[in-house]
Amino acid sequence: MQSTFAGVELGKRGIIAHQQALQTAGHNVSNASVEGYSRQRVEMGATDPLYFPQLNRENTPGQIGQGVDVQRIARTKDELLEGRIVAEDNQQGYWEARDKYILMLEQVYNEPGDSSVRNLMDKFWDSWQELSVRPSEIAARKAVLQRGQALAEGIQDRFSRLKGIRDSVEGDIQGTVKQVSDLVSGIAGLNEQISKSQALGDMPNDLLDRRDNLIGQLSSLVDITVSSRDPDEMVVASGGVRLVQGRLFEAPAMVVDPDNEGYSRVVWTDSGKDARFRGGKLAALLELRDIDARGEIQDLDMMTVNFTDMVNEIHRGGYDLSGANGRDFFVEYPFINNISGNYDRSGDGEYDSTYVFRITGANALTAKDQVGLRGSLTLPSAGGDVQVEYFPTDTVEDLMSRINLSGSEVTARLNSEGRLSLKGSPASDPRNPDFVIRGLSDSGQFLVGYAGILRKSGPDGAYTWEKADATRDLRENGVGFSVAPLSHPSGWIVVNPKLSADPGAVAAASGSSGISDGIGDGGAALAIAQLRTRPVMLGQASGFDAFFAAQTADIGLRGEEAAKSLDTAKLVMKDLKDLRESFSGVNIDEEMTNMITFQRGYAAIARFVNTFDEMLDTVINRMGV
Amino acid sequence: MKRISSQLPGMDSSYNMRLREWEMSQETNKMGTQSRIKDLRDDPLAAARSTRYQSEIFRMERYGKNVSTAQGTMAVAEGNLMQAVDVLQRMRELAVQGATGTVDPAQMGYMGEEVDQLFRELVNIGNARAEDGSYLFSGTQPRTEPFRTTAGHVPGTGGDRITQVDYLGNNGTRLAEVSEGSTMGLNMPGHTVFWAEQQQVYSTTDASSYRVQADSRIRLDGTEIDLRAGDNVYAIIARINDADVALKAELDPVSSSLMLRTTQPHQVWAEDLAGGTVLQDLGILDKESPRPPQNFAKSARVFGGSVFDMAMHLRDALLEGNAEKVGGSGIRGIDDSLQSVTTALAEIGSKDSRLEGIAKRISSETAEVTGFDSEDRGLDLAESITRLRMLEFGHEAALAASARVMQKTLLDYLR
Repeated sequence: MQSTFAGVELGKRGIIAHQQALQTAGHNVSNASVEGYSRQRVEMGATDPLYFPQLNRENTPGQIGQGVDVQRIARTKDELLEGRIVAEDNQQGYWEARDKYILMLEQVYNEPGDSSVRNLMDKFWDSWQELSVRPSEIAARKAVLQRGQALAEGIQDRFSRLKGIRDSVEGDIQGTVKQVSDLVSGIAGLNEQISKSQALGDMPNDLLDRRDNLIGQLSSLVDITVSSRDPDEMVVASGGVRLVQGRLFEAPAMVVDPDNEGYSRVVWTDSGKDARFRGGKLAALLELRDIDARGEIQDLDMMTVNFTDMVNEIHRGGYDLSGANGRDFFVEYPFINNISGNYDRSGDGEYDSTYVFRITGANALTAKDQVGLRGSLTLPSAGGDVQVEYFPTDTVEDLMSRINLSGSEVTARLNSEGRLSLKGSPASDPRNPDFVIRGLSDSGQFLVGYAGILRKSGPDGAYTWEKADATRDLRENGVGFSVAPLSHPSGWIVVNPKLSADPGAVAAASGSSGISDGIGDGGAALAIAQLRTRPVMLGQASGFDAFFAAQTADIGLRGEEAAKSLDTAKLVMKDLKDLRESFSGVNIDEEMTNMITFQRGYAAIARFVNTFDEMLDTVINRMGV
Repeated sequence: MKRISSQLPGMDSSYNMRLREWEMSQETNKMGTQSRIKDLRDDPLAAARSTRYQSEIFRMERYGKNVSTAQGTMAVAEGNLMQAVDVLQRMRELAVQGATGTVDPAQMGYMGEEVDQLFRELVNIGNARAEDGSYLFSGTQPRTEPFRTTAGHVPGTGGDRITQVDYLGNNGTRLAEVSEGSTMGLNMPGHTVFWAEQQQVYSTTDASSYRVQADSRIRLDGTEIDLRAGDNVYAIIARINDADVALKAELDPVSSSLMLRTTQPHQVWAEDLAGGTVLQDLGILDKESPRPPQNFAKSARVFGGSVFDMAMHLRDALLEGNAEKVGGSGIRGIDDSLQSVTTALAEIGSKDSRLEGIAKRISSETAEVTGFDSEDRGLDLAESITRLRMLEFGHEAALAASARVMQKTLLDYLR
């Protein structure tokens, strides 16, 4: 026998359920424009009917339905789609950051236009041409000094802009690491709240939405994977490290790296190990700072150090209006005081290394001559040493191009007198200094007697930078060397102030044995001017034209790649997000329709309660009175 | 995707409008700068090519300027040398007259005076200056007067006459780059232009047992010649003859000494370099005064004279009244001088026509390269404007469509 008020209870249950449904619809409509909100659906189900097969079962035909209950208020969310979005979002974050900064790097060039370093260099060469045609003029010398100063300033300006970009990226990295930290701890906090709520059997939909939002933000900063396999502990992992595990988290932090000019490394706070990311904004910023921007600065330095060395070499051998020679045209501030290139690398007060940029052999060679010697050169490179073999039938030219293409950090060319000139190039490992020859050794006689650089072949006669005064190990007579720049040469290049003060000291004439060929001779000026078009070997490029063109194309192609990849990533994300919006977004018309349904339902049940009430009224007030 | 949430149309139209706005902004920017390449990423390879083209155009302008400078300098020299030719021809006329033997000594004396004046004029031409005050014929010492005169006494006359003209310039050539990798000499040193006869230098030192002591170098007419330790005089002669100079070395059979002879009329320029003493030991050069050209050993016999020497010879013969000399060595000397000067003029002429050719080539190449650069970098204005109009049109359509789509919802219809 059912209870008297069973119907009222049924009505009450129905009213409450429909009220909740209406409330949920109202909640959806209110949150329709909230970003990342997924619509909630009330899942109603029939209440357990009477009677289950049990001992206190009444003997009446069953089962009698008992009305409706709200079973669950669920978010409409496609978990698989969410996983896809999280996985793809780091691509957009990566390319966005990359696109922005590569554009800045492109703009530093001022190409193809009139105020680029290339153009300033063209004007500089032009002034030497003018001097070569009027070598006894002071006016032409003043023009050379002016243009040289303009070029030095142009190079310095480009250096400081590149450095500025590198500094901004550093600032961005710091900000991003802080953001990641905050997000990670936020997610962990939410995890705790959610698990508490879920333990009580509730569905904390709004907290879940907020956590999804934080995960979405995090996924564009670093590449993460989310795993909810264990319902009690949600795990967010990146690069093999667990960022969040339940309510525990590990945040990244910044540590100053002295090998990288004081820029920071990203490490994990607890383990102290380096953090490696493969996607997302943080990975892009780290690459931009340490590969792209650093590479640009290295390229600029390499061009500057080679170009000033070549100009200085010729200028030192040239004679000025008073018949004197031996002055450099470009100098670097601060001066390196030690003329043997000694340097204290470990900072303990004693010289322990030799920083030499260029070593020139004593003997004049001819490019097309066959060397007639057999052996193998050992040259330094990024990952250790490389061996370059040579055979008797190789010409000097062949061997030099083999050295240049061997991947070693030494380049070879014949200078204007035909002597072999070996120069250090930028180091790919930041722990090694740029533009320093770190070692030379030859198992045969090429570097020893033929080119006139080393004293002996084999490891005994090897040159190494890891001791002071290493230049004493080179051949005594005729070997020339120049000391490496102490810090970025492009940031410190200036025209020799002695020349600026006395324009007559600009050398234009060639000469020999200390005697000038006459103030009307423009040989040295012409030689300097011709450096512009000669195959002079700047890194891998065979001349200034090739170098500038290669640089321009390189950054342009990187920019093109970044722009196109960003477009692609954006389209992919847009599609995914549209899909998500379509699935989980609120459609106001739909909610309105639902509201009508629930409202009518509510009214109907109210009507039923009313009817039942009337029935009870009959029983209570009119039966047996 | 069948279900459209309320936000979706807004998100979509917003996305597409932002995209179109960006494209319009790029297009307007390009029109403003008239360049197809606003950022390097727009066309990296074209931008790279453009850097080469621009530098090349700049360089060719410089070569054009150098060509003009060269032509100008040579025109001035040409003018002066043509004057010199006139002077020498007048001298020849006088010489021919004086050689006929029908002229009496007094008249020869007057002719001698006229030749003296013409000779002084010749010296002035030799010391001619360009518009900036530099001397034309002094090699690469533009502030040094090339020809220095010394006065002395000439027999048969009274008063002082010029008896010696020394060349004080050097043998340097000022080079200008007139096109990529090729240079041209802008000047002609006085000791080649104003030289009439082949010069011969006879040493009087026996060289049969001479050996070079150590590796050394000598410089003849600006070309360096290496000598090895142990070379004997025959090896030295072979090396000199192999070198690219207009000189021939021989061994004088009588005195076994070294003899140097020019193959084209000019003054020999010989030096020992880097502390070596080979030419001094062989008796060619003087140990005391090592700077050429006045550095021949006092014991050596030097033959061959300059244009001025020839003029002075003619003048002296006329003043002496020696018709035979006038008709013989006098006229011959002037003929040789004319030969030299006209050779120099011919060289200038041929250089000038080469420069003309270069100038033409430079201007046509410049036009071509400018064309290439413009193709790579320049904006086709018509195309760009069309694109912009299409974008604007699309933009207007999209705006109108979004306005329509977002007009009514169910709310408007519920009472």
